[in-house]
Amino acid sequence: MKRKVIHHVCRSITGLCALACCGVLVGIVGFIVMRGWSALSWEFFTEQIALVGAAGGILYNVIGTLILLATALLVCTPLALAFAIVHSVYLRDSPHRGRLTVLLYVLNGVPSILFGIVGMVIFVQMLGWGKSWLSGGILLGLMILPTVTVTLIERITSLPGRYLEAATGLGLSQSQIIRSVILPQSLSGLVTGLMLGLARAAGETAPIMFTATIFAGATIPSGVKESPVLSLPYHIFVLAQDSFDPAVKAKLWGAALVLLMLVLGLSLIALPARLKIHEEANHG
Amino acid sequence: MDDPVFKTVDLSVSAGSKTILSPVSLDIAGGGVFGIIGPSGAGKSTFLKSLNRLTELSQGLRVTGQAYFEGQPVYDSAVDPDELRGRIGILFQQPVVFPSSILANTLFGVRHLGVVPKRDLPEVAERALRQAALWDEVKDRLKKPGQQLSVGQQQRLCLARTLATGTHTILMDEPTSALDPKSTEAIEALILNLKTTHSIVLVTHNLRQTERVCDKIAFIGIRDDVGTMLATGELADLKCCSGIPELEEYLCCELEETRPKLATK
Repeated sequence: MKRKVIHHVCRSITGLCALACCGVLVGIVGFIVMRGWSALSWEFFTEQIALVGAAGGILYNVIGTLILLATALLVCTPLALAFAIVHSVYLRDSPHRGRLTVLLYVLNGVPSILFGIVGMVIFVQMLGWGKSWLSGGILLGLMILPTVTVTLIERITSLPGRYLEAATGLGLSQSQIIRSVILPQSLSGLVTGLMLGLARAAGETAPIMFTATIFAGATIPSGVKESPVLSLPYHIFVLAQDSFDPAVKAKLWGAALVLLMLVLGLSLIALPARLKIHEEANHG
Repeated sequence: MDDPVFKTVDLSVSAGSKTILSPVSLDIAGGGVFGIIGPSGAGKSTFLKSLNRLTELSQGLRVTGQAYFEGQPVYDSAVDPDELRGRIGILFQQPVVFPSSILANTLFGVRHLGVVPKRDLPEVAERALRQAALWDEVKDRLKKPGQQLSVGQQQRLCLARTLATGTHTILMDEPTSALDPKSTEAIEALILNLKTTHSIVLVTHNLRQTERVCDKIAFIGIRDDVGTMLATGELADLKCCSGIPELEEYLCCELEETRPKLATK
């Protein structure tokens, strides 16, 4: 009898906690959708910013954010692949492996504002790029490197050993095994990690506000030096400071909703790959 | 056919300070099927994998002594283990089919070894699948995933993959222990067919299988807690009068199990 009571109490508490979590999530999303929905229109996506954000649309903010994300993707992918392969293939039996893991977690813990100021010193001042989409993309790529690498490492280390044994038994060299067994089978891990990482990078303001993005006056960059872009998170950041103006406020929530949809979209792309991993873990 | 395909001289395997297999000196004649029998955990598979240096994948296993494959030393710094393994086929207990098509699986090894020009690959695949008696079952669905095949078919696919590399020597590590009786029969028929052209070393748990396909056998038993090669010869001789207590105990108990075991997954 007592056990039953405890069971029900525990179940109720955990249920309530889960419900609270869902409530907060739905609340935030609902709030943004309610406030932002009215600002969405065809013009909002196709016009550029006007009247210091009180009018016009966010065309170049979306494009700028997409440029930053694409650059981050290109920077992060080869680094994460190399890191994960060194970590879980070449250093499989080495004590250095643990050190690399610590390094990844430290990198993961570096606050994003520090990426911003380090990037400012290196790219803006030492290299003299001024504000450039490239520095922002590189910084975002490095920032999501731990997320992507860890996801990839988890995927590689969970590969069944029998595949490696069979491939080795057939006479394949280690590099051939990496190319034809390990990489193809951990692709879903790479995609998952990248999408989760990019979803996070899309909303980051601190690493790009000193290095890559400005509020108005940029379109599509044509070079590297002095080629800033507009971006969604920085746009929201600036508009939020002016939000006493109702016209600005409407645009602010519109931009917030677009950013939310972008992040949601990226997470949804990762979903099939994640489900596939689960399926293999359960039936493999 | 006179030269042994494998020859081991004091080949032993240890893990840390524990000896897993005490020194084995053995000649395995070329051609035919050489069986290795013995109780579980005696080190049959370990011995088999030490012949093509697959033991090196297992962290902490150390091999001492020497083995010769076709007269050439296996454990030598001048030997490229990948090249060696490419010349010796191997079949595992559980068929290992990669998550790709039947055709890609068949060509998985030969494609990477780079011994066959690309345009000849389809022909190689067909020949290997025919040799493994799988061609008629899969010829219309070569592009379908290999993992959709039944376990018995998967094992034959693995055999085809090994045969496609052009090897004349195949190590088999209990290749039928995961299979149902009918698939086991199919694999045994293949072994009997292949032994005219290939040298096969077959680790098995199943004495009936040994009787059906093996020409000569070696018995690895557990003596003083260590796997030890206790007898070699023809099964009939060993059966009647080996005088080895471990072997007699093994024979009496194993013969009661007439059906091949189905591995639990």
